[in-house]
Amino acid sequence: MIAEYLLLLSLLAVLYRLVRGPHPWDRLLAYNAASNRIFVLLALIAVSSDRHAYLDATIVYAALSFLGVVILARFMERGGEHR
Amino acid sequence: MISDVLIGLGLAFLVIGTIGILRFRDVYSRLQASGVSDNAGLGLILIGLIARNGFSSDDLKLGLLLFLLLLTNPIITHSIAKSAFVRRHSAGDDVR
Repeated sequence: MIAEYLLLLSLLAVLYRLVRGPHPWDRLLAYNAASNRIFVLLALIAVSSDRHAYLDATIVYAALSFLGVVILARFMERGGEHR
Repeated sequence: MISDVLIGLGLAFLVIGTIGILRFRDVYSRLQASGVSDNAGLGLILIGLIARNGFSSDDLKLGLLLFLLLLTNPIITHSIAKSAFVRRHSAGDDVR
């Protein structure tokens, strides 16, 4: 119970950096940290309230967020140009 | 019992990492805070969840999630840092 709320608070703090961060890399880093917190929150809820389907959703979410962050980082490495 | 200790330790790592992300000065310092402490904190929380109640089919999925986390988080940190470095983003010249 306390753990879920602490994770939610930490998620809000990271989302502040996502909105505020002066550079695109700050936003990307905050997005990665926020998605990490989201999937651990999902795993915590899944175990503590016996919803086994949430764990599968968590694994898929982790894999997709990894793909998204790496592709965005590569895109910004080339200066945001399509090539 | 032991799972509560592990989850509490992981939450402490996560909160410290969050303070680092909020308070540090430039991109590379924030990457350091986020990469190191997130990996430790989330790993500890997942190990605590695995140790919670006996052996079940959930443990296998949580183990897969832990493996995925330990595999992908360093790659993400490296690729964001490389992206900022290649674009010649200089360190230490922006405030909070």
